[in-house]
Formats: sequence, structure tokens, C-alpha cells
Amino acid sequence: MIVAIARKEFLDAWRDGRFRIAAAVVVVLLGVALLLAWQQVGRARAGRAAAAALERENWLNQGEKNSHSAGHYGVYVFKPLAPLSVFDRGLEPFVGTTVFLEAHRQNQAAFLPAQDATAMRRFGELTAATGLQLLAPLLVILLTFGALAGERERGTLRQVLSLGVRPRDLVLGKALGLGAALAALLLPVALFGAVALSKLPGGDAGGSWVRFAWLGGAYALYLAAILGVCLAVSAVASTARAALATLLVCWAANAVIAPRLASDFAQRLLPTPKLVDFEAAMNKAVQEGIDGHNPRNDRLQAFAQETLKKHGKTRIEELPFNFNGLVMLESERMAGEVFDHHFGKLWNRLEAQDRTVTWTGLVAPLLGLRSTSMALAGTDFTHHRHFSVAAEQHRRNFVRVLNEDMMNTPANAGHHGGTAGRALLEKLPAFRYDPPPPAHALRAATPGLVVLCLWAVGAWTALLLVAPRLKPN
Amino acid sequence: MTSHLFRLELRLLVRERAAWVLLALFAAALGYGLWNGGRVAGRQREAAAAIAQDTEAFQAQVRQHLGQQAIDPKAIAGRGTMAVLPPAPLPLLATGQSDLSPGHEAVVLWRLADSGDTRSELENPSHLLAGRFDLAFVLVWLFPLFLLALVYDLMAGDRESGTLRLALAQGVTPWRWMARRALARSLPMLILAALATLTAGFFGGSGGTGTRLVLALAVVLAYGLFWVALAIAVNAVARSAASAATSLGAAWVLLVLVAPTLLNVAVETLYPTPSRPELVAAGRKASGEAEKRGGELLNSFYRDHPELAPPGQQADFAAQHLTVQTEVGRAVEPVRQKFDEQLARQQTAVGQWRFLSPAIAMHEALTDLAGTGYWRHRAFREQVGGLRQAVSAFFTPRIHKRESITMSDFDQLPRFEFREEPAGVWMGRVLASLAGMLALAGALGVWAWRSLRPGRLGLLSA
Repeated sequence: MIVAIARKEFLDAWRDGRFRIAAAVVVVLLGVALLLAWQQVGRARAGRAAAAALERENWLNQGEKNSHSAGHYGVYVFKPLAPLSVFDRGLEPFVGTTVFLEAHRQNQAAFLPAQDATAMRRFGELTAATGLQLLAPLLVILLTFGALAGERERGTLRQVLSLGVRPRDLVLGKALGLGAALAALLLPVALFGAVALSKLPGGDAGGSWVRFAWLGGAYALYLAAILGVCLAVSAVASTARAALATLLVCWAANAVIAPRLASDFAQRLLPTPKLVDFEAAMNKAVQEGIDGHNPRNDRLQAFAQETLKKHGKTRIEELPFNFNGLVMLESERMAGEVFDHHFGKLWNRLEAQDRTVTWTGLVAPLLGLRSTSMALAGTDFTHHRHFSVAAEQHRRNFVRVLNEDMMNTPANAGHHGGTAGRALLEKLPAFRYDPPPPAHALRAATPGLVVLCLWAVGAWTALLLVAPRLKPN
Repeated sequence: MTSHLFRLELRLLVRERAAWVLLALFAAALGYGLWNGGRVAGRQREAAAAIAQDTEAFQAQVRQHLGQQAIDPKAIAGRGTMAVLPPAPLPLLATGQSDLSPGHEAVVLWRLADSGDTRSELENPSHLLAGRFDLAFVLVWLFPLFLLALVYDLMAGDRESGTLRLALAQGVTPWRWMARRALARSLPMLILAALATLTAGFFGGSGGTGTRLVLALAVVLAYGLFWVALAIAVNAVARSAASAATSLGAAWVLLVLVAPTLLNVAVETLYPTPSRPELVAAGRKASGEAEKRGGELLNSFYRDHPELAPPGQQADFAAQHLTVQTEVGRAVEPVRQKFDEQLARQQTAVGQWRFLSPAIAMHEALTDLAGTGYWRHRAFREQVGGLRQAVSAFFTPRIHKRESITMSDFDQLPRFEFREEPAGVWMGRVLASLAGMLALAGALGVWAWRSLRPGRLGLLSA
């Protein structure tokens, strides 16, 4: 029985002119979004790779200078774009693309692509993800608002029920049929996305295919939840018009109002520190220690005494190496602790804000989906943090190698060590970034997935609860 | 008869509970948007004031030193000159680009050719992605939604239920009937939107914002008028209230949600910006080369400018750095300029195509009027470029000649004065947006009027 009803609904949906037009618009938009994003992401990835290669050349050809000057010359590293940003650009436009790695300082990623864009960027971006998040639910509403309420209005519901069809079977059959109509529409789009991903050079980085499969699951959950809610509303609404009005209000609240409100709410609950305060606190901690009671000079003096004691010498000049290099190493280590502490605190705060927004997804499911989608696509803040940490790790390695070189050159070669030639510069490997494995993405996506599961289970439970009480008029 | 109709419709509206709920929600959204925009504006004002205070304290300190003796220019060059974009004239109206584009920048002599960090505040990127719940958001996105919720059924419902015949039997023309109803039903929303706009002017504006406020009011009303005209046009042909609602909803999605993102994609595809990372790496290459030729460059510089050569000809480190920097600037300039021109081309294209959707025109006009739009921030960036040149022109000769700075020199130290865009320019853009919206509303109105001619009465009420 359920199958027969499902087949009838499936055919009905496809025969509905309004649905066909709306579906065509949505599918065309999704296709265009995927195609253009594929082109843009390909170009951006190539651009960043070319920049990285050029910067490597710059580094190797910087000429002869002492190792500490090479540390100040520094190196720029560029964030490779996640392959799945073809599908969901996420935060990419609003996080820096470029980090300057230099001695003594941990810099933040600079140059936000959105700063190099028109004001239209602020209306949101046309990506396959936003299409599925915002427009696909409208298709579901269009498909379902009249499914039960309309039949009730026309009187056909009374006839069907009088045939002895169990209300639950009717509702499930409709859900199945309409769900199938939607799937028939969106599966080809997913296939198209898969083709685009496979055609992207280096598209399988970071376990893209596992991520892609999970993305499919997350969007299926979201649309299933919305289908359940819509049918439940249609089941209890007195007229199709009332069902449509209710659903459109819910859609607007979910898609238009909730993201901004939730983001504001998270900011108010967990404020972001001001840049001046953040930098002042960090600089102070570098000078005075994390606890503020351990001045840098005292620590370095103690360190000098300790070193002398360890080597059984009384004067620094007697040490068998360039003590300046050792001091550089030690002060980098001390500063590193401060950076880890302060950046860690800042990033934890931003992640906590994002998690808060995700949990408000319990009220507006879009927020749960959005964070899940960005996490799986590799374009959320946790992925940006992963990159920033990798860049900082690279900075510390390269500064350490330079400082060790300085330590091992005789002190009389110059205050800041001898001349660093190409051999030393080549010893420092080029920056290579490996995006985190899918397990990282899944961890980041867990709260969102929980929210989506709760919504799907809740919506279908509600549907099954209202189904037996389906009133013919 | 017609004023009677208007009063009747108002009376009906007053008795609708849903209408009151909608009006209350809209008023709440407007209030929240104003308050939220005020917080952002307040923070930016505080930041600007803190910088001004800081600069003043530093200058007082330098003057005190100068009172005793002249100082080496290198001693104060590292501190930098602060360029601050003055608070926007009507910041409560729209946050615009002000949370993304830096509102202040330090111009430091030693780093004139660097492409440094481009941010002046820490922001959660998700917050930037979501956007602010400011007045512009309420007016561009939510205002049409609330308006349509009240006016989506002006005639279609009566046609459906058969009361249209009865109403038209009173001798009123369908056009007049619908226009009066539309006016009565939209009036409360229009008044609320206008009040909120005025509030933004009275509480957040700095002096001399009268023209901006009047224009903002006109833009808001024109935008409302467009949506009402659209509702009338749809109702003139819709068979049922549900289909009118669906069509209007679809129009909102297409005009407010889809059109701007399509335009964004289109301009980025038509005028792709060169890759910023490549620009950074190219700059580094130029600076590496210039640095290696540092001594040689300086010598050729002194050949060109013998008057600047220091007495002993022996160049010091600072002079060499400045020469290298000038060379880097020269090498990178064409690439940077191309980058900038491409961006301007993108935004110009947005300007030309903004009539594609009144939502785009409205957004551009509101941010222009608020003083938080693209062009004002661009003007700031360009003028900071001018300040860089002025700072270089002030310090470079003095450092080459190893001259000290005296009190009278210090008074000539470049300071940043932001020159607002000429009123004619931004007003031209806003007035074009306004005219565009009115023209669209007018075209819809004429079309609806033609479909509602008395000659087609039979068709109408069928």
C-alpha cells in the first residue's frame, strides 16, 4: 500500500508544473554554482601553488647573509584551498590566505579574499552548499504544503480514508514518494559534484571522498528533517494556505534571521577580545612571563648562569659555542610558550562561539547543517586553525635551524653568527601542508551532526504521532 | 468613495490580530537592528578616539624633546603616522564594509613597500560570513517580507471567494480599489520603516547629515513602493491568494537572495582579480633583487640626486633601506595597480547592474548614505597611499642628508586628513538607485493599471 501511494505521489510531483519550474531553477543554479566554483577554486589553488613556488625561489636566492638576518627576511606561506571548497566555500573568504613567518613573532594569517571583493559578497555566496541549504527547503515546502492539507480541503482525504487506507500508511507513502521525487532531482547534482571533484587536480587531498560521502549524509538528514516537519504541518493545518504560510515563516526564520541572530548571540555570550588588548597582553607576557611575575631578563640571566654551570665555565666567552645562538633558541622557546597560550586562548574562544551557534541549531536546523557542512568540506575554523598551527610549527623549525647554525658558528664570526649560504637555506625544507584527515572533520562536525539527527528523529516522530490522528476535515 | 475605502481598509486591518503581530515583530526587528548597529558604530568611534588620543600624547612628548634639542628623524620615523577613517556620517543605517575593511592604518617609513596585515580588528570569520543584524539588513531583507505578508492578497482572495464582484458592483474601478487597499495596508509598515530611518539619523548621525537622511528616507520609501507595486501587479493576474503568495515569495527569493549572489559570481568571473598570494610573492621577489643590488642602487640614486648625498658619501643602513624600498615600490606598483583596477572594475560593474534587483540598489544606496560603503573605504585606502608618499617625501631627504628635525620641521610632518568623496559623486549614485527603484515600481504600476482597465472587468471578476 505504502509503495502504491509513494508511486502516485512521485508521479504527481513530477506532473506539477510549478514544481517542475522551481526544480529546474534550483538545479540550474546548483549546476552553475558548482561549475563556476570549480573554475575559481582551480584557479585559486594554482595561484597559491605558483606563489609558494616563487616564494621558495625568493628564499633560496636571498643571497648571503647571516643566519639571523635570514630569520628576519622570513618566509611567506600560503594556505592551499580545500578541494571541497568547490562545494562549500565556508569561511574561506573571511580568513587570511597568507602567513608571514619570521623570527620572534607569530603572525596571523592576513589578506582575506573578501577584502578583495565587491560589497555583493556580503549578500552571501552562490555555492552548491548555500543552494541546498536555502533553496532546497523551499522546494520541499512547495512539494509538501498541500500534500495533506490540500487533500483535506478538496475532500479527497475523506475518500481515501474511507477506502480503509491506514492514515499512517498514507502519510508514510506520501513522505516516501515526495522524498523520492526530491532525490531524483538532487542525486544527479551530487553526481555532477563528484565529477567536478575528481577533475580537480589534487582533489583527493585530506580524504575528500570520505568527506564527500559524509556531506551527502548530512544534507540527506537535513532535507529528511525538513520533509518530516513540512508533512507534519500539512497534516495538522486546516487549509493548504495556512500550511504554506506557517512553513514560509519557519523557512524565513531558519534561513534568513537565525544565522545573524545566533552569531550575534554567540558574540555577546563569549565576546571576542579587541586586537589592541590581545596584542598588548601577548607582548607583555613575552616580556614578563605568562604569569607576569617572571621578567624576561631575569629568566635569561638565570639561563646564562645555568649554562655556565653545566659546562663548568665562569665566562660566556669560554663556552665552546656562540652563546648568542643559544639565547636566541631559549628566547624563541619562551616566546613560543606565550604564543601557544595566547593564540590557543583566542582560537578556543572563536571555536566556542562557533559551537554555540551550532547548538542554537536545535532551534534552527540550518545552523547545525552549516557548521557540519563547513567542517566536512574543510572550510570551517577548526581547519583554518589546523593550517595556522602547521604554519607556526614550520616557523619554529626554520627559526630553530637558523639559531642552531648561529650557535655553531664561532662567536668571532659576528654577533649574529656567520654568513648563511645557499647550503643552509636549502637545508630548510619548503612548507608543505597536509590537510587534516576526515577524522578531524568528523570530530568538528559532531555537534552539528547530533543536531541534525535530533531534528530528523524529532520531525519524523512528530509526523508519526500526528499521522494516526489525521482528520478528514 | 475612495477615502472611504481607505478608511474601511484601515479599520479592517486594525481588527486583524495577525497584522498586529506582524507590525510588532517588524518594530522589534527594526529596534534590534538599530541597537546592534549602534554598538558596532560605538566600538568604531571608541577605537578612533583612542588612536587620536595616543597620537596626541606622542606628539606632545616629541614636542617636549624638541623644545630642548633637535632630534634624529630616524628616532620618530619608526613610530609611524596613523591614518584614521573618520566615523561614518550615518553609521546606524548600515554596518556595510566597516567590519571588514580596516578603518585605520599605521604608515611607517620603514615599511612603506610592505603589504602588511590588512585588519584592524579581531573578528570571528563566521560572524563576518553571517553578517550583522543591522538596520540595513532589516530594511533590505525583512522589510519586503513583512510588507508582502500584509499585502500579498489584495484582490486574488476576493476573486477566489467571489466577493470581488460584490465589491466592484459599488462602482469603484478595480485599479482604484486595489490601490487604496494597498496603500492602507502598507502604510503602517512604511511609517515604521521611515521612523526607524529617522531614528538612525537623530541618534547615530554626526553633524550635517540632513541631506543624507532625507535621501535615506526617500530610498526606503521607494523600496517599499516597489514591493507594493509588485504585489498589485501579481494580484492583478493571480487566480488565487495562494498562488499570489507563492509568486511573491518566489520573487523575493529571486530578487533578494539569488540575484545579488549571481551578480557577485558574474563580476568575479568577468573580471577575475589576480591572485593576492602571487602579488605578495612578486613583491618579495622585487625586494630580494633590490636588496641584493642595494649598494649599487644607492650609488645610482646619489648620481641622480647629488644634493641628497651625505657629506662623507658613506651611506648608512637607513638610507640604503629607503632606496631599496623605493625601488621595490616601483617594481611592484604596476602589479598592484592592475589588481586595484580590476577590483574597481568589479565594483563598477556591480553599480551598473544594480538595477537588476532593487535589493542591490537599496543596499548600495544605504551603505553609500551611511558612509560605510565600498567607495568610501576605497577612497580611504587610496588616500592612505597618498600619505605614504607624503611620509616618504618628508623623511627621505632628511635621512639622506642626515639632518635633524626641529620644531618647525615637526609642524610640517604629514598628518592624515580624510577628504570625503565629493557630495555630487555619492549623491549621483544614490539618486540613480532611487530613480531606478521608482522606475521599476512605476513600470509595474503601469502594467497593473493596464491589466485592470474597466474594459477588462468581466475577465477580472470571473
